[in-house]
Amino acid sequence: MKRLGNFMKLIQNENMKIYLRLRTWIMLGFIVLLPPFLSLAFYLAGGENMSGWSMVLIESRILFFLITIFTVVVAADSVAGEFTWGTIKLLLIRPWSRSTILLSKYLSTMLFALFFTVVAFIMTLLANLVVFGFSTDANLAAGMTDVAYIWKFYLMEFVTLIIIVTFGFTMSSAFRSGGLAIGLSIFFLFAGNLITGLFALANKAWVKYVLFMHLDLTSYINGGNGPIPNYPTTLGFSLAVLAVYFVIFNVVSWTVFRKRDVAA
Amino acid sequence: MSQTAVARLQNVTKVIGKRTIIDRVSFEVRPGEVFGFLGPNGSGKTTTIRMIVGLMGLTDGDIYIGEHSIRKDFPKAIVQVGAIVENPEMYKFLTGYQNLLHYARMNPSITKGRIQEVIELVGLQGRIHDKVKKYSLGMRQRLGVAQAIMHRPKLLVLDEPTNGLDPAGIRELRDYLRRLAQDEGTAVLVSSHLLSEMELMCDRVAILQKGQIIDIRSIRGEAENQGTALDEVLFEVDHPDAALGILAGQGEGRIADGFLTLSADRKGIADLNRKLVEAGINVYGIRVKTKSLEDQFLEMTGSETIG
Repeated sequence: MKRLGNFMKLIQNENMKIYLRLRTWIMLGFIVLLPPFLSLAFYLAGGENMSGWSMVLIESRILFFLITIFTVVVAADSVAGEFTWGTIKLLLIRPWSRSTILLSKYLSTMLFALFFTVVAFIMTLLANLVVFGFSTDANLAAGMTDVAYIWKFYLMEFVTLIIIVTFGFTMSSAFRSGGLAIGLSIFFLFAGNLITGLFALANKAWVKYVLFMHLDLTSYINGGNGPIPNYPTTLGFSLAVLAVYFVIFNVVSWTVFRKRDVAA
Repeated sequence: MSQTAVARLQNVTKVIGKRTIIDRVSFEVRPGEVFGFLGPNGSGKTTTIRMIVGLMGLTDGDIYIGEHSIRKDFPKAIVQVGAIVENPEMYKFLTGYQNLLHYARMNPSITKGRIQEVIELVGLQGRIHDKVKKYSLGMRQRLGVAQAIMHRPKLLVLDEPTNGLDPAGIRELRDYLRRLAQDEGTAVLVSSHLLSEMELMCDRVAILQKGQIIDIRSIRGEAENQGTALDEVLFEVDHPDAALGILAGQGEGRIADGFLTLSADRKGIADLNRKLVEAGINVYGIRVKTKSLEDQFLEMTGSETIG
Protein backbone atom coordinates (compact mmCIF):
# COMPACT_ATOMS: atom_id res chain seq x y z
CA MET A 1 0.00 0.00 0.00
CA LYS A 2 2.84 2.34 0.83
CA ARG A 3 4.36 1.59 -2.54
CA LEU A 4 1.11 2.45 -4.25
CA GLY A 5 1.05 5.74 -2.36
CA ASN A 6 4.55 6.47 -3.56
CA PHE A 7 3.57 5.54 -7.10
CA MET A 8 0.69 8.02 -6.91
CA LYS A 9 3.33 10.69 -6.36
CA LEU A 10 4.81 9.82 -9.74
CA ILE A 11 1.39 10.32 -11.29
CA GLN A 12 1.12 13.59 -9.38
CA ASN A 13 4.44 14.65 -10.92
CA GLU A 14 3.33 13.83 -14.42
CA ASN A 15 0.07 15.66 -13.85
CA MET A 16 2.00 18.69 -12.63
CA LYS A 17 4.01 18.67 -15.85
CA ILE A 18 0.81 18.49 -17.89
CA TYR A 19 -1.43 20.95 -16.06
CA LEU A 20 1.10 23.63 -15.16
CA ARG A 21 1.53 24.42 -18.81
CA LEU A 22 -0.47 27.17 -20.45
CA ARG A 23 -0.90 24.93 -23.50
CA THR A 24 -3.09 22.48 -21.59
CA TRP A 25 -5.53 25.20 -20.58
CA ILE A 26 -5.75 26.50 -24.15
CA MET A 27 -6.65 22.96 -25.23
CA LEU A 28 -9.27 22.76 -22.50
CA GLY A 29 -10.60 26.11 -23.68
CA PHE A 30 -11.29 24.60 -27.11
CA ILE A 31 -13.15 21.66 -25.59
CA VAL A 32 -15.24 23.90 -23.35
CA LEU A 33 -16.07 26.58 -25.92
CA LEU A 34 -16.55 24.58 -29.09
CA PRO A 35 -19.94 22.94 -28.20
CA PRO A 36 -21.77 26.17 -27.24
CA PHE A 37 -20.22 27.96 -30.19
CA LEU A 38 -21.26 25.28 -32.71
CA SER A 39 -24.76 24.88 -31.27
CA LEU A 40 -25.38 28.60 -31.21
CA ALA A 41 -23.99 29.15 -34.69
CA PHE A 42 -26.12 26.34 -36.10
CA TYR A 43 -29.20 27.63 -34.31
CA LEU A 44 -28.71 31.11 -35.71
CA ALA A 45 -28.04 29.68 -39.18
CA GLY A 46 -31.61 28.42 -39.28
CA GLY A 47 -31.35 25.06 -37.59
CA GLU A 48 -33.70 25.84 -34.72
CA ASN A 49 -35.68 22.61 -35.36
CA MET A 50 -32.59 20.44 -34.93
CA SER A 51 -32.84 17.76 -32.29
CA GLY A 52 -30.53 18.32 -29.40
CA TRP A 53 -29.39 14.69 -29.49
CA SER A 54 -28.33 14.85 -33.13
CA MET A 55 -26.28 17.89 -32.36
CA VAL A 56 -24.68 16.14 -29.35
CA LEU A 57 -23.60 13.34 -31.68
CA ILE A 58 -22.11 15.64 -34.32
CA GLU A 59 -20.24 17.75 -31.79
CA SER A 60 -18.97 14.69 -29.97
CA ARG A 61 -17.48 13.33 -33.19
CA ILE A 62 -15.63 16.60 -33.74
CA LEU A 63 -14.50 16.78 -30.13
CA PHE A 64 -13.12 13.25 -30.21
CA PHE A 65 -10.86 14.26 -33.09
CA LEU A 66 -9.62 17.17 -31.01
CA ILE A 67 -9.20 15.18 -27.82
CA THR A 68 -7.29 12.47 -29.68
CA ILE A 69 -4.90 15.01 -31.19
CA PHE A 70 -4.48 16.87 -27.89
CA THR A 71 -3.77 13.65 -26.02
CA VAL A 72 -1.26 12.58 -28.64
CA VAL A 73 0.49 15.93 -28.15
CA VAL A 74 0.61 15.29 -24.40
CA ALA A 75 1.81 11.71 -24.96
CA ALA A 76 4.50 12.92 -27.34
CA ASP A 77 5.85 15.43 -24.84
CA SER A 78 5.55 13.06 -21.94
CA VAL A 79 8.36 10.83 -23.19
CA ALA A 80 10.07 12.48 -26.17
CA GLY A 81 9.82 15.89 -24.50
CA GLU A 82 11.93 14.74 -21.56
CA PHE A 83 14.64 13.70 -24.01
CA THR A 84 14.42 16.98 -25.93
CA TRP A 85 14.59 19.03 -22.73
CA GLY A 86 17.36 16.85 -21.31
CA THR A 87 15.36 16.38 -18.11
CA ILE A 88 15.27 12.62 -18.68
CA LYS A 89 18.80 12.49 -17.25
CA LEU A 90 17.55 13.76 -13.90
CA LEU A 91 14.29 11.82 -14.02
CA LEU A 92 15.81 8.38 -14.49
CA ILE A 93 18.38 8.65 -11.71
CA ARG A 94 15.76 8.24 -8.99
CA PRO A 95 14.95 5.10 -7.00
CA TRP A 96 12.36 3.91 -9.49
CA SER A 97 12.64 1.45 -12.34
CA ARG A 98 12.29 2.80 -15.84
CA SER A 99 9.19 0.64 -16.33
CA THR A 100 7.42 2.26 -13.41
CA ILE A 101 8.31 5.74 -14.61
CA LEU A 102 6.96 4.93 -18.06
CA LEU A 103 3.79 3.50 -16.51
CA SER A 104 3.22 6.73 -14.58
CA LYS A 105 3.56 8.63 -17.84
CA TYR A 106 1.19 6.34 -19.68
CA LEU A 107 -1.46 6.44 -16.99
CA SER A 108 -1.34 10.21 -16.58
CA THR A 109 -1.71 10.59 -20.34
CA MET A 110 -4.80 8.38 -20.26
CA LEU A 111 -6.17 10.32 -17.29
CA PHE A 112 -5.75 13.47 -19.34
CA ALA A 113 -7.80 11.90 -22.16
CA LEU A 114 -10.45 10.77 -19.68
CA PHE A 115 -10.67 14.21 -18.08
CA PHE A 116 -11.07 15.92 -21.45
CA THR A 117 -13.66 13.36 -22.57
CA VAL A 118 -15.75 13.94 -19.46
CA VAL A 119 -15.56 17.70 -20.02
CA ALA A 120 -16.56 17.23 -23.67
CA PHE A 121 -19.50 15.04 -22.65
CA ILE A 122 -20.78 17.53 -20.10
CA MET A 123 -20.28 20.52 -22.39
CA THR A 124 -22.07 19.02 -25.39
CA LEU A 125 -25.01 17.97 -23.23
CA LEU A 126 -25.19 21.33 -21.50
CA ALA A 127 -24.85 23.43 -24.64
CA ASN A 128 -27.51 21.52 -26.53
CA LEU A 129 -29.87 21.36 -23.58
CA VAL A 130 -29.78 25.13 -23.43
CA VAL A 131 -29.92 25.79 -27.19
CA PHE A 132 -32.17 22.99 -28.51
CA GLY A 133 -33.55 21.12 -25.54
CA PHE A 134 -33.97 17.37 -25.43
CA SER A 135 -37.77 17.22 -25.75
CA THR A 136 -37.74 15.38 -29.07
CA ASP A 137 -36.13 12.05 -29.71
CA ALA A 138 -33.81 12.00 -32.73
CA ASN A 139 -33.96 8.21 -33.10
CA LEU A 140 -30.23 7.93 -33.54
CA ALA A 141 -30.56 4.15 -33.62
CA ALA A 142 -33.48 1.80 -33.80
CA GLY A 143 -34.45 0.04 -30.63
CA MET A 144 -32.59 2.23 -28.16
CA THR A 145 -32.97 5.63 -26.61
CA ASP A 146 -30.76 8.52 -27.71
CA VAL A 147 -29.15 8.64 -24.27
CA ALA A 148 -28.17 5.00 -24.51
CA TYR A 149 -26.80 5.55 -28.00
CA ILE A 150 -24.67 8.50 -26.90
CA TRP A 151 -23.28 6.51 -23.97
CA LYS A 152 -22.26 3.68 -26.25
CA PHE A 153 -20.85 6.13 -28.77
CA TYR A 154 -18.56 7.63 -26.12
CA LEU A 155 -17.45 4.21 -25.00
CA MET A 156 -16.56 3.06 -28.53
CA GLU A 157 -14.80 6.28 -29.42
CA PHE A 158 -12.79 6.16 -26.23
CA VAL A 159 -11.54 2.69 -27.13
CA THR A 160 -10.33 4.03 -30.49
CA LEU A 161 -8.73 6.98 -28.74
CA ILE A 162 -6.82 4.66 -26.41
CA ILE A 163 -5.42 2.74 -29.39
CA ILE A 164 -4.29 5.84 -31.28
CA VAL A 165 -2.79 7.48 -28.20
CA THR A 166 -1.01 4.25 -27.30
CA PHE A 167 0.42 4.22 -30.81
CA GLY A 168 1.56 7.85 -30.36
CA PHE A 169 3.08 6.95 -27.01
CA THR A 170 4.99 4.08 -28.62
CA MET A 171 6.33 6.36 -31.36
CA SER A 172 7.31 8.90 -28.73
CA SER A 173 9.19 6.27 -26.75
CA ALA A 174 10.76 4.54 -29.76
CA PHE A 175 11.90 7.58 -31.73
CA ARG A 176 12.25 10.11 -28.92
CA SER A 177 10.86 12.68 -31.29
CA GLY A 178 7.63 14.39 -30.33
CA GLY A 179 7.04 15.78 -33.82
CA LEU A 180 7.29 12.38 -35.44
CA ALA A 181 4.98 10.83 -32.84
CA ILE A 182 2.36 13.54 -33.36
CA GLY A 183 2.66 13.41 -37.14
CA LEU A 184 2.34 9.65 -37.42
CA SER A 185 -0.57 9.51 -34.98
CA ILE A 186 -2.50 12.15 -36.90
CA PHE A 187 -1.79 10.25 -40.10
CA PHE A 188 -3.14 7.17 -38.33
CA LEU A 189 -6.26 9.04 -37.31
CA PHE A 190 -7.07 10.42 -40.75
CA ALA A 191 -5.69 7.77 -43.07
CA GLY A 192 -7.62 5.13 -41.16
CA ASN A 193 -10.86 5.79 -43.07
CA LEU A 194 -9.15 5.85 -46.46
CA ILE A 195 -7.28 2.64 -45.82
CA THR A 196 -10.44 1.01 -44.49
CA GLY A 197 -12.23 1.96 -47.70
CA LEU A 198 -9.44 0.53 -49.80
CA PHE A 199 -9.14 -2.75 -47.94
CA ALA A 200 -12.91 -3.21 -47.80
CA LEU A 201 -12.71 -3.79 -51.57
CA ALA A 202 -10.10 -6.48 -51.17
CA ASN A 203 -11.35 -10.01 -51.24
CA LYS A 204 -8.99 -11.60 -48.78
CA ALA A 205 -9.83 -12.86 -45.31
CA TRP A 206 -6.69 -11.40 -43.75
CA VAL A 207 -7.94 -7.82 -44.12
CA LYS A 208 -9.97 -8.64 -41.03
CA TYR A 209 -6.76 -8.42 -39.05
CA VAL A 210 -5.63 -5.05 -40.35
CA LEU A 211 -5.63 -2.56 -37.49
CA PHE A 212 -7.13 0.31 -39.50
CA MET A 213 -10.32 -1.67 -40.17
CA HIS A 214 -11.21 -1.56 -36.50
CA LEU A 215 -10.69 2.07 -35.63
CA ASP A 216 -14.35 3.01 -36.01
CA LEU A 217 -16.37 0.82 -33.69
CA THR A 218 -19.49 3.00 -33.72
CA SER A 219 -20.97 1.06 -36.63
CA TYR A 220 -21.52 -1.84 -34.25
CA ILE A 221 -23.86 0.17 -32.00
CA ASN A 222 -26.89 -0.35 -34.19
CA GLY A 223 -26.03 -3.94 -35.00
CA GLY A 224 -23.69 -3.53 -37.96
CA ASN A 225 -21.54 -6.32 -39.32
CA GLY A 226 -18.28 -4.41 -39.27
CA PRO A 227 -16.34 -2.52 -41.91
CA ILE A 228 -15.68 -5.31 -44.46
CA PRO A 229 -18.81 -6.26 -46.43
CA ASN A 230 -17.52 -9.66 -47.56
CA TYR A 231 -16.17 -10.66 -44.18
CA PRO A 232 -18.59 -9.78 -41.42
CA THR A 233 -17.08 -9.19 -38.02
CA THR A 234 -18.46 -8.69 -34.53
CA LEU A 235 -17.64 -6.11 -31.88
CA GLY A 236 -15.93 -8.81 -29.87
CA PHE A 237 -13.71 -9.68 -32.81
CA SER A 238 -12.75 -6.05 -33.38
CA LEU A 239 -11.93 -5.60 -29.72
CA ALA A 240 -9.78 -8.72 -29.78
CA VAL A 241 -7.84 -7.46 -32.81
CA LEU A 242 -7.36 -4.07 -31.14
CA ALA A 243 -6.24 -5.78 -27.95
CA VAL A 244 -3.49 -7.62 -29.84
CA TYR A 245 -2.20 -4.38 -31.38
CA PHE A 246 -2.50 -2.65 -27.99
CA VAL A 247 -0.26 -5.28 -26.43
CA ILE A 248 2.25 -5.07 -29.30
CA PHE A 249 2.49 -1.27 -29.06
CA ASN A 250 3.05 -1.40 -25.32
CA VAL A 251 5.62 -4.17 -25.51
CA VAL A 252 7.57 -2.01 -27.98
CA SER A 253 7.24 1.11 -25.77
CA TRP A 254 8.41 -0.63 -22.63
CA THR A 255 11.18 -2.63 -24.26
CA VAL A 256 12.70 0.39 -25.96
CA PHE A 257 12.34 2.66 -22.95
CA ARG A 258 13.88 0.12 -20.58
CA LYS A 259 16.76 -1.00 -22.72
CA ARG A 260 18.00 1.98 -24.62
CA ASP A 261 20.91 4.06 -23.42
CA VAL A 262 20.33 7.70 -22.63
CA ALA A 263 23.28 8.96 -24.60
CA ALA A 264 22.61 12.43 -25.94
CA MET B 1 39.11 -3.76 -2.82
CA SER B 2 38.14 -2.19 0.45
CA GLN B 3 34.62 -2.64 1.76
CA THR B 4 34.35 1.00 2.71
CA ALA B 5 34.33 2.35 -0.83
CA VAL B 6 31.20 4.34 -1.68
CA ALA B 7 31.46 3.59 -5.36
CA ARG B 8 33.33 0.71 -6.87
CA LEU B 9 33.84 0.18 -10.59
CA GLN B 10 34.98 -3.28 -11.60
CA ASN B 11 36.28 -3.82 -15.12
CA VAL B 12 33.59 -1.59 -16.51
CA THR B 13 33.43 -2.04 -20.26
CA LYS B 14 31.22 -0.47 -22.86
CA VAL B 15 31.15 -1.63 -26.45
CA ILE B 16 29.04 0.27 -28.95
CA GLY B 17 28.91 -1.47 -32.30
CA LYS B 18 32.42 -2.74 -32.76
CA ARG B 19 34.12 0.05 -30.87
CA THR B 20 35.20 -0.40 -27.30
CA ILE B 21 34.36 2.98 -25.79
CA ILE B 22 35.30 2.08 -22.22
CA ASP B 23 37.84 -0.64 -21.63
CA ARG B 24 38.00 -2.42 -18.27
CA VAL B 25 37.87 0.69 -16.12
CA SER B 26 38.24 0.01 -12.39
CA PHE B 27 38.52 2.44 -9.52
CA GLU B 28 36.83 3.25 -6.28
CA VAL B 29 35.70 6.40 -4.57
CA ARG B 30 36.03 6.55 -0.80
CA PRO B 31 33.84 8.36 1.71
CA GLY B 32 34.78 11.98 2.21
CA GLU B 33 37.01 12.30 -0.80
CA VAL B 34 36.70 14.44 -3.88
CA PHE B 35 37.66 12.23 -6.76
CA GLY B 36 38.48 13.81 -10.11
CA PHE B 37 37.90 12.23 -13.42
CA LEU B 38 40.17 13.72 -16.05
CA GLY B 39 40.56 13.10 -19.70
CA PRO B 40 40.69 14.67 -23.11
CA ASN B 41 37.45 15.07 -25.02
CA GLY B 42 36.17 11.76 -26.30
CA SER B 43 38.13 9.76 -23.74
CA GLY B 44 34.93 8.36 -22.24
CA LYS B 45 34.41 10.48 -19.13
CA THR B 46 30.76 11.20 -19.75
CA THR B 47 30.04 7.63 -20.86
CA THR B 48 31.54 6.30 -17.63
CA ILE B 49 29.53 8.76 -15.57
CA ARG B 50 26.34 7.81 -17.40
CA MET B 51 27.04 4.18 -16.60
CA ILE B 52 27.59 4.98 -12.93
CA VAL B 53 24.17 6.64 -12.68
CA GLY B 54 22.45 3.97 -14.77
CA LEU B 55 21.65 6.08 -17.82
CA MET B 56 23.73 3.76 -19.96
CA GLY B 57 24.05 0.02 -19.65
CA LEU B 58 27.31 -1.85 -19.13
CA THR B 59 28.59 -4.32 -21.70
CA ASP B 60 30.73 -6.00 -19.08
CA GLY B 61 31.89 -5.50 -15.51
CA ASP B 62 29.83 -4.03 -12.70
CA ILE B 63 29.40 -0.89 -10.65
CA TYR B 64 28.60 -0.99 -6.95
CA ILE B 65 27.23 1.88 -4.94
CA GLY B 66 27.75 0.75 -1.36
CA GLU B 67 27.00 -2.94 -1.69
CA HIS B 68 24.30 -2.62 -4.34
CA SER B 69 24.97 -3.29 -7.99
CA ILE B 70 23.70 -0.66 -10.39
CA ARG B 71 22.90 -3.44 -12.84
CA LYS B 72 21.03 -5.83 -10.59
CA ASP B 73 19.70 -3.64 -7.84
CA PHE B 74 19.17 -0.27 -9.50
CA PRO B 75 16.73 1.47 -7.11
CA LYS B 76 18.75 0.55 -4.00
CA ALA B 77 22.00 1.63 -5.63
CA ILE B 78 20.80 4.87 -7.18
CA VAL B 79 19.02 6.10 -4.05
CA GLN B 80 22.48 6.73 -2.61
CA VAL B 81 23.54 8.83 -5.59
CA GLY B 82 22.92 12.45 -6.44
CA ALA B 83 24.01 13.71 -9.82
CA ILE B 84 24.15 16.40 -12.43
CA VAL B 85 24.94 14.93 -15.81
CA GLU B 86 26.25 17.64 -18.13
CA ASN B 87 24.10 20.74 -17.85
CA PRO B 88 21.46 20.82 -15.14
CA GLU B 89 18.39 20.67 -17.39
CA MET B 90 15.23 21.61 -15.53
CA TYR B 91 11.59 21.94 -16.49
CA LYS B 92 11.60 25.52 -17.71
CA PHE B 93 7.85 25.97 -17.42
CA LEU B 94 7.95 25.09 -13.72
CA THR B 95 9.31 27.22 -10.91
CA GLY B 96 12.53 26.31 -9.16
CA TYR B 97 10.50 25.10 -6.20
CA GLN B 98 8.22 22.95 -8.34
CA ASN B 99 11.28 21.39 -9.95
CA LEU B 100 12.65 20.45 -6.54
CA LEU B 101 9.24 19.22 -5.39
CA HIS B 102 9.12 17.02 -8.49
CA TYR B 103 12.33 15.22 -7.59
CA ALA B 104 11.52 15.21 -3.87
CA ARG B 105 8.28 13.33 -4.52
CA MET B 106 10.30 10.55 -6.11
CA ASN B 107 12.16 9.92 -2.87
CA PRO B 108 9.97 9.40 0.22
CA SER B 109 12.81 10.35 2.60
CA ILE B 110 12.78 14.01 1.55
CA THR B 111 10.62 16.25 3.70
CA LYS B 112 9.31 19.73 2.90
CA GLY B 113 11.67 21.03 5.59
CA ARG B 114 14.62 19.46 3.83
CA ILE B 115 13.65 21.14 0.54
CA GLN B 116 13.62 24.50 2.33
CA GLU B 117 16.97 23.74 3.94
CA VAL B 118 18.55 22.91 0.59
CA ILE B 119 17.14 26.04 -1.04
CA GLU B 120 18.83 28.15 1.62
CA LEU B 121 22.01 26.16 1.32
CA VAL B 122 22.37 26.99 -2.37
CA GLY B 123 21.19 30.55 -1.79
CA LEU B 124 18.14 30.51 -4.04
CA GLN B 125 15.50 31.54 -1.48
CA GLY B 126 14.87 34.88 -3.18
CA ARG B 127 14.08 33.44 -6.58
CA ILE B 128 12.86 29.92 -5.87
CA HIS B 129 9.27 30.70 -6.89
CA ASP B 130 10.28 32.14 -10.27
CA LYS B 131 9.97 30.06 -13.39
CA VAL B 132 13.22 28.37 -14.33
CA LYS B 133 13.11 29.93 -17.80
CA LYS B 134 13.91 33.23 -16.08
CA TYR B 135 16.99 31.80 -14.36
CA SER B 136 20.56 32.52 -15.37
CA LEU B 137 22.88 29.61 -16.04
CA GLY B 138 24.48 30.09 -12.64
CA MET B 139 21.10 29.89 -10.91
CA ARG B 140 20.20 26.77 -12.85
CA GLN B 141 23.50 25.30 -11.76
CA ARG B 142 22.58 26.02 -8.12
CA LEU B 143 19.18 24.42 -8.60
CA GLY B 144 20.99 21.46 -10.13
CA VAL B 145 23.15 21.14 -7.03
CA ALA B 146 20.05 21.43 -4.84
CA GLN B 147 18.26 18.52 -6.54
CA ALA B 148 21.44 16.46 -6.36
CA ILE B 149 21.99 16.82 -2.62
CA MET B 150 18.39 16.90 -1.39
CA HIS B 151 18.32 13.25 -0.37
CA ARG B 152 21.76 13.43 1.31
CA PRO B 153 23.45 11.07 -1.15
CA LYS B 154 26.54 9.11 -0.18
CA LEU B 155 27.93 9.72 -3.63
CA LEU B 156 27.62 12.98 -5.52
CA VAL B 157 28.40 12.79 -9.21
CA LEU B 158 29.04 16.00 -11.09
CA ASP B 159 29.81 16.05 -14.78
CA GLU B 160 31.69 19.22 -15.79
CA PRO B 161 30.21 21.15 -12.86
CA THR B 162 32.01 24.40 -13.52
CA ASN B 163 30.66 24.81 -17.05
CA GLY B 164 29.07 28.20 -17.39
CA LEU B 165 29.94 29.38 -13.90
CA ASP B 166 31.77 32.65 -13.32
CA PRO B 167 34.96 32.61 -11.22
CA ALA B 168 33.08 33.46 -8.04
CA GLY B 169 30.60 30.69 -8.73
CA ILE B 170 33.38 28.20 -9.36
CA ARG B 171 35.05 29.13 -6.13
CA GLU B 172 31.83 28.84 -4.21
CA LEU B 173 31.10 25.43 -5.69
CA ARG B 174 34.62 24.27 -4.92
CA ASP B 175 34.38 25.36 -1.31
CA TYR B 176 30.98 23.81 -1.00
CA LEU B 177 32.09 20.45 -2.38
CA ARG B 178 35.08 20.35 -0.08
CA ARG B 179 32.84 21.14 2.88
CA LEU B 180 30.36 18.47 1.87
CA ALA B 181 33.14 15.92 1.62
CA GLN B 182 34.73 16.89 4.92
CA ASP B 183 31.67 17.53 7.09
CA GLU B 184 29.17 15.01 5.81
CA GLY B 185 31.59 12.41 4.50
CA THR B 186 30.02 12.56 1.07
CA ALA B 187 32.12 11.07 -1.69
CA VAL B 188 32.23 13.41 -4.67
CA LEU B 189 33.07 12.34 -8.19
CA VAL B 190 33.72 15.22 -10.57
CA SER B 191 34.69 15.11 -14.18
CA SER B 192 36.31 18.04 -15.86
CA HIS B 193 38.78 19.04 -18.48
CA LEU B 194 39.77 22.12 -16.48
CA LEU B 195 42.96 20.78 -14.96
CA SER B 196 43.83 23.67 -12.71
CA GLU B 197 40.29 23.52 -11.35
CA MET B 198 40.63 19.82 -10.61
CA GLU B 199 43.93 20.42 -8.90
CA LEU B 200 42.29 22.77 -6.44
CA MET B 201 39.21 20.65 -5.90
CA CYS B 202 40.25 17.02 -5.78
CA ASP B 203 42.00 14.66 -3.41
CA ARG B 204 42.68 12.09 -6.10
CA VAL B 205 42.34 12.05 -9.84
CA ALA B 206 41.98 9.28 -12.38
CA ILE B 207 43.24 10.04 -15.84
CA LEU B 208 41.31 8.48 -18.65
CA GLN B 209 42.53 8.16 -22.20
CA LYS B 210 40.87 6.32 -25.07
CA GLY B 211 38.56 4.56 -22.63
CA GLN B 212 41.29 3.30 -20.34
CA ILE B 213 42.52 4.52 -16.99
CA ILE B 214 46.17 5.36 -17.47
CA ASP B 215 46.85 6.69 -13.99
CA ILE B 216 45.25 7.26 -10.62
CA ARG B 217 47.14 9.63 -8.39
CA SER B 218 46.75 11.44 -5.13
CA ILE B 219 47.02 15.20 -5.31
CA ARG B 220 46.94 16.26 -1.67
CA GLY B 221 49.34 13.45 -0.85
CA GLU B 222 51.98 14.97 -3.07
CA ALA B 223 51.69 18.32 -1.40
CA GLU B 224 52.37 16.66 1.97
CA ASN B 225 55.38 14.82 0.58
CA GLN B 226 57.04 18.04 -0.41
CA GLY B 227 59.43 17.91 2.54
CA THR B 228 61.41 14.96 1.26
CA ALA B 229 60.72 14.86 -2.47
CA LEU B 230 63.27 16.20 -4.88
CA ASP B 231 62.10 19.25 -6.78
CA GLU B 232 63.56 21.36 -9.51
CA VAL B 233 64.91 24.48 -7.81
CA LEU B 234 65.72 27.72 -9.60
CA PHE B 235 68.34 30.08 -8.11
CA GLU B 236 68.44 33.64 -9.32
CA VAL B 237 72.05 34.78 -8.78
CA ASP B 238 74.32 37.50 -10.08
CA HIS B 239 76.95 35.13 -11.56
CA PRO B 240 75.31 31.87 -12.66
CA ASP B 241 78.51 30.43 -14.15
CA ALA B 242 80.53 31.02 -11.03
CA ALA B 243 77.70 29.64 -8.90
CA LEU B 244 77.57 26.50 -10.99
CA GLY B 245 81.26 26.01 -10.36
CA ILE B 246 80.82 26.40 -6.63
CA LEU B 247 78.01 23.85 -6.49
CA ALA B 248 79.76 21.45 -8.88
CA GLY B 249 79.71 18.53 -6.44
CA GLN B 250 76.01 18.93 -5.57
CA GLY B 251 74.37 16.95 -8.34
CA GLU B 252 73.22 17.83 -11.81
CA GLY B 253 73.28 21.59 -12.12
CA ARG B 254 72.64 23.57 -15.28
CA ILE B 255 71.90 27.06 -16.39
CA ALA B 256 68.59 27.80 -18.07
CA ASP B 257 67.18 31.23 -18.92
CA GLY B 258 69.79 32.86 -16.69
CA PHE B 259 68.72 30.72 -13.69
CA LEU B 260 70.84 28.14 -12.02
CA THR B 261 68.73 24.98 -11.94
CA LEU B 262 69.29 22.04 -9.58
CA SER B 263 67.38 19.19 -8.00
CA ALA B 264 67.09 19.40 -4.23
CA ASP B 265 64.80 18.66 -1.31
CA ARG B 266 63.86 21.21 1.33
CA LYS B 267 66.94 20.83 3.45
CA GLY B 268 69.16 20.72 0.37
CA ILE B 269 67.87 24.10 -0.77
CA ALA B 270 69.00 25.73 2.47
CA ASP B 271 72.42 24.06 2.23
CA LEU B 272 72.90 25.17 -1.36
CA ASN B 273 71.91 28.69 -0.49
CA ARG B 274 74.35 28.84 2.39
CA LYS B 275 77.18 27.63 0.16
CA LEU B 276 76.44 30.29 -2.43
CA VAL B 277 76.26 33.08 0.10
CA GLU B 278 79.44 31.97 1.82
CA ALA B 279 81.19 32.01 -1.58
CA GLY B 280 80.16 35.61 -2.06
CA ILE B 281 77.43 35.06 -4.67
CA ASN B 282 74.42 37.33 -4.41
CA VAL B 283 71.22 35.26 -4.30
CA TYR B 284 68.20 37.32 -5.39
CA GLY B 285 65.61 34.58 -5.37
CA ILE B 286 65.00 30.87 -4.91
CA ARG B 287 62.00 29.25 -6.53
CA VAL B 288 60.79 25.67 -6.44
CA LYS B 289 59.41 24.67 -9.78
CA THR B 290 56.39 22.45 -9.11
CA LYS B 291 54.91 20.53 -11.93
CA SER B 292 51.29 21.44 -12.33
CA LEU B 293 48.74 18.76 -12.94
CA GLU B 294 48.46 20.15 -16.41
CA ASP B 295 52.14 19.51 -17.13
CA GLN B 296 51.84 16.00 -15.79
CA PHE B 297 48.67 15.39 -17.70
CA LEU B 298 50.14 16.55 -20.97
CA GLU B 299 53.21 14.46 -20.35
CA MET B 300 51.04 11.40 -19.94
CA THR B 301 48.46 11.88 -22.62
CA GLY B 302 50.96 13.11 -25.17
CA SER B 303 50.14 15.84 -27.63
CA GLU B 304 46.41 15.26 -27.64
CA THR B 305 44.43 18.43 -27.19
CA ILE B 306 42.49 19.00 -24.03
CA GLY B 307 39.14 20.58 -23.59
